[in-house]
Amino acid sequence: MPQTMTEKILARASGRASVKPGDDILARPDFVIAYDFPGYTDVFFKETREEFGVEKVARPERFVLFIDHMVPAAAPKEEELHKMTRAWGKAQGVPVHEREGIGHQVSAELGYATPGAFAVHFDGHVSQLGAFGTYAFGARKGVLESFVSETMALTVPPTVKVELVGKLQPGVMARDVFHHMVRVMGPSSCAFKVVELCGPVIDDMSIEGRQTICGQAMFLGATTMLIAPDAKTLDYVRGRSKIELEPVYPDPDAAYEQVVRIDVSSLQPIVVVPPSPANTRDLMDYLGIEVHTGYLGSCASGRLEDLRAAADVLRGRRIKSGFQLHVVPTSQAIMAQAANEGLIGCLVEAGAFISSPSCDYCFGKIATMADGQRAVSTGTLNTPGRMGSVDSEIYICNAAVVAASALEGCIADPRPYLAHAASAVGSAT
Amino acid sequence: MSLRNLQGRVAWIFEEDDFDIDLIVGVRNIKITDLNELVAVTMTDYDPGFAAAVMKGDLLVGGKNFGYGHPHYPAMRAMRHLGITGVIAESFSPGFFRGEISMGFPLATCPGIRAAVARWDEVQVDWAKGLVINLRTGHALPLQPLSSAERGTLEAGGLVPYLKTRLTSEARPVGSS
Repeated sequence: MPQTMTEKILARASGRASVKPGDDILARPDFVIAYDFPGYTDVFFKETREEFGVEKVARPERFVLFIDHMVPAAAPKEEELHKMTRAWGKAQGVPVHEREGIGHQVSAELGYATPGAFAVHFDGHVSQLGAFGTYAFGARKGVLESFVSETMALTVPPTVKVELVGKLQPGVMARDVFHHMVRVMGPSSCAFKVVELCGPVIDDMSIEGRQTICGQAMFLGATTMLIAPDAKTLDYVRGRSKIELEPVYPDPDAAYEQVVRIDVSSLQPIVVVPPSPANTRDLMDYLGIEVHTGYLGSCASGRLEDLRAAADVLRGRRIKSGFQLHVVPTSQAIMAQAANEGLIGCLVEAGAFISSPSCDYCFGKIATMADGQRAVSTGTLNTPGRMGSVDSEIYICNAAVVAASALEGCIADPRPYLAHAASAVGSAT
Repeated sequence: MSLRNLQGRVAWIFEEDDFDIDLIVGVRNIKITDLNELVAVTMTDYDPGFAAAVMKGDLLVGGKNFGYGHPHYPAMRAMRHLGITGVIAESFSPGFFRGEISMGFPLATCPGIRAAVARWDEVQVDWAKGLVINLRTGHALPLQPLSSAERGTLEAGGLVPYLKTRLTSEARPVGSS
């Protein structure tokens, strides 16, 4: 029977020859991933032991924990939570990766994004492992099932195939592409379904760009999003993958619930206006709105291509006096590479405040806005209060837009700066 | 076991589509785990008198894609503590839906509900009949059925008791009763 990637992965994970949408299955996650956060991991640890009598989790090699929120700790009870996480990991034989970056990115770097694997987390942004052909599901509280048993009960979701065609224009980044998908398809268009993403735009796109798009699947309502592995994927995962699996590809005649084709050739940079990620608009309609702070980072953006784009805009310039530009590379590995490339120096010289990786900027735990302030942000969400006061506003955009807005103190178009940078490079060679 | 019907007043109507429930307590408060602390910040941005006005059994009504965003647990934990027994919405965002069903918190998907009720109307969710009934107007709307796992989770009172029962029955040797 022809199958989608999701169906093949879930068939293998449930020990069946094939599955179809609507089938109730018991699947064995290859990986169980979590970061520590109050009300989540502390509760899972407690319930696993006290409610289910499980003193030691089965097959601890499936598990990986990250400490990426509340980093660095700003209160004793935050550090207490981290201590508990470290102790649990040690007692269970489960690795705890701390201060290495945002877990969804570090998971990929460490090889948990194995093509064809089935991974679970409580947080839906784990869907970005789909960039590597991993079926990565944010099960919310349901991840508890993987702590107390080796399986998880699932209903096989239908798949929506999204084909991105055309060619991206200069200054348009993966971030714009995702929010354009939300605009075209709708914020709940893929509710309880999986998106299989393909097409020449994806073929041409970097691994980082694919991570950006897949990681935001939840804002289409999707359970997760996957891209079939190609040479770039296999090159990335070679030597990293934690387990050996045959990569999985969709059958050419697989049955999709829907096929959506989006031509991105005329796509311009976007801005997602408050109060929700459902509100994609054209950047050009919002130029000139005064902004006070900028955030370049998060599990969605903050990778090398984002830092390079920001550096191209900011090189040799100074951000507007009084503007707060926070640049937070997504992982230590990315930060080190950015330093090697001279990007960190360039951003610092332009006036950026650079932080080691942490999730804390994305939800206003630090760099918190006051009433009436506005941010341009590559964070995941623009809910009022997400980055401080409920009377502050967040405009989501790509990294180059954050950088250009930092120069001008208002929402700005980065393309003139990028064109200048490109011509400077051209004249030098 | 059958699912107990819900009956109570509509304590609040979240009119917006794509409503982010973190706003109920304020995003800055999502790390709070103490219920009394949480309740003190619940709905204060909407109606400072909310906590005092709510009675046990009351319900919330939402729009389309209710729970969009990052649906953390504190908002509904606080709502349950105040006596709210369920949410009826035009539709739910999947992450929110999965998360709250796991908590044993009833959610009824009922297209048309937003226009069919006013604040403080008495409504009933009849799971067996598959209807949401406005007891003030007599108007009834169909609700979308739950899957067997969702229903089982709600009947058991949440994922933890549901899993306990399920894992015990799976562990039983084939052929035993």
